[in-house]
Amino acid sequence: MTKRLTAFYWMTVPAVILFFIFMTLPALQGIYYSFTNWNGFGKHYDFVGFKNYINIFTDNNVGNAYLFTFKFAIVTTILTNVLSLLIALGLNAKIKFRNFFRGIYFLPNILSVLIVGYIFNYLFSNVFTIWGKNLGVSAFSTNILGNEHMAWIGIVIVAVWQGIAFNTILYLAGLQTIPTSLYEASNLDGASRWQEFWKITFPLIAPFFTINMVLAMKNSLMVFDQIIALTNGGPGRATQSISHLIYTGGFQGGEFAYQSANSVIYFIVIALISVLQLKFLQGRETDM
Amino acid sequence: MKKGRLLLACVLLVSMLSGCGGSKEADGKVKLEFFQNKPEAKGSFDKLIAKFNQAHPGIQVSQINPPDAETVLKTRVVKNDIPDVIALGATDTYSILAQSDIFTDLTQSKLLENIEPNYIKMLKDITGMDKVTAVPYATNANGIMYNKTLFKEMGLTVPKTWDELIATAQKVKDNGKIPFYFTYKDDWQTNLPFNALAPNLVGIDFFKQLREGKVTFKEKFREVAEKQLKLLDYGHGDNFGKNYADGNRAFAKGEAAMYIQGSWAIPEIRKANPKADIGFFPFPAGNDPEQNKLISGVDTLLTISEDTKHKKEAEEFLSFLLEPENIGQYIKEQTAFAAVKGVNQEDPAVAELLPYLKEGKVLDFADHYLPAAMQLNSIVQAFLQNRNIDGYLQTLDREWDKVQSRK
Repeated sequence: MTKRLTAFYWMTVPAVILFFIFMTLPALQGIYYSFTNWNGFGKHYDFVGFKNYINIFTDNNVGNAYLFTFKFAIVTTILTNVLSLLIALGLNAKIKFRNFFRGIYFLPNILSVLIVGYIFNYLFSNVFTIWGKNLGVSAFSTNILGNEHMAWIGIVIVAVWQGIAFNTILYLAGLQTIPTSLYEASNLDGASRWQEFWKITFPLIAPFFTINMVLAMKNSLMVFDQIIALTNGGPGRATQSISHLIYTGGFQGGEFAYQSANSVIYFIVIALISVLQLKFLQGRETDM
Repeated sequence: MKKGRLLLACVLLVSMLSGCGGSKEADGKVKLEFFQNKPEAKGSFDKLIAKFNQAHPGIQVSQINPPDAETVLKTRVVKNDIPDVIALGATDTYSILAQSDIFTDLTQSKLLENIEPNYIKMLKDITGMDKVTAVPYATNANGIMYNKTLFKEMGLTVPKTWDELIATAQKVKDNGKIPFYFTYKDDWQTNLPFNALAPNLVGIDFFKQLREGKVTFKEKFREVAEKQLKLLDYGHGDNFGKNYADGNRAFAKGEAAMYIQGSWAIPEIRKANPKADIGFFPFPAGNDPEQNKLISGVDTLLTISEDTKHKKEAEEFLSFLLEPENIGQYIKEQTAFAAVKGVNQEDPAVAELLPYLKEGKVLDFADHYLPAAMQLNSIVQAFLQNRNIDGYLQTLDREWDKVQSRK
């Protein structure tokens, strides 16, 4: 018995130590600095109490970043999940070249976000604009990333294009757990395809739906790489997400402490959303 | 026993993590780390370093030039791992680093003897300190490039005043060509007209008074804002869709008559078209040609870390870089200007700027005096999209106040 316990310690303790050193400790340091006026380097700083937190609530750039991030996250999460579920249904059916298509659809997931972003950046400015001109659509003959009101759509397109891959794999795994006998039974009962989906398929992949929603939401709330590669937060601050604001303000702008306070608040927000999402969606799972 | 082993494992882990520091001076040579922020200059510095290393067998200089160098440098300062010699632009980053006393004080140093006093004063203005902690090395110019071939074809002359500039742009437009190739997808590009207009129309003193809380943008910057907007009438169809790289390519191919840009773009333009016949004139911000000054800032300055163990060798390296022959080679390759007296840029593309530099008719970039946390670039980019002058001036004042109150 004790021997087995030792093995378990060996399995867990190193991970806990690493996690503590690389995640918990820096997080605690960040909370500490959020009560100072440290600029990120230099040896001098003073404690300023809750001043940073008060300033954040009066800073319209922060509000603007939250607005963009949530708009982006909600649209991206919905689109990613709807599209990847459709693709997964297709890839689960008995189509020709099924494995080939599965490979193709998984491809975006193994590409680096930054490289995909830079390629799309080039496409948006030099290729799509020419298509737009040739087709005579004025809205697409200029780079949409350069337009205050449309730039966010460009980022959604890239994020969804890449995000679909991983969610599709999860849905596909979910679909394969459903025993075929259920479909045979429903066939005998004369259920339509539509009923089959809502009464059998969807309830049975509910746990996968939950995890996909939570993951997609969390990933898009922390959107950063795509923005760096596509717009760098522009035009103006039209596509500045919260992580981008924290990074540019904290590291490039020399406001380390102020943006630390911002990230502490953001951490609390993300944690709350994830807990609520899990609670709601898991509650739904057991209802079905 | 078990606990002992666990402890041992932890100790091993920690020592593994901290063991990555590595040791220097393995072969008896003094190793100097030279950190610089200009990707365009990497090749030029490599050549100079090779020459230096060969002449100084006891010293081994190596160059580090990461992307987003200013941010990398700041994080290294956090870790207290400061490179021995650092080359930077005279920007707000330099200013805050200098104020946190990480650079050696060079006020009395011999290295400054041959430097144009104008540029030394610029450094003092930027940091707001009396001591000098850097040697100005190469300087740049911000103005308007023009395509000489197109100007000849349309019978245009170089404009000397704001009104002439707009008239010239109008003529180009009437001829069915693009007057200015704007590259406003990159927010820092939107700043170039601002950097030229503000010092000429409002003056650098404005920023000192701003620090003392005596003036506001609202009172002084209306004309700057109006002229920034006016220029947009003479762009191309997709001003906010093209970036700096697109612009260099397009201007090199003769797609536009003028290009509001810095001298740093010349090597890039020549890469795209070695035969491009380009000229360069100062931005005519006002209507009195006598009052009009060239915008020129310190593009590269050299500093020595306060904590380096090899100050003597670092100074030796700096004085090597400052030798007329070496800085001459550097500015030739980079189409920059030398802060060292008596070293001239002979490139015909920038010949029209030399009289201004010689007579000291220069002003610094406006954004060197504004804290990076204001994110001036995105404020200007947003303004050019929504074209709301009152909102723009208000935002400038509000962002300035906000950054000040967070200090």
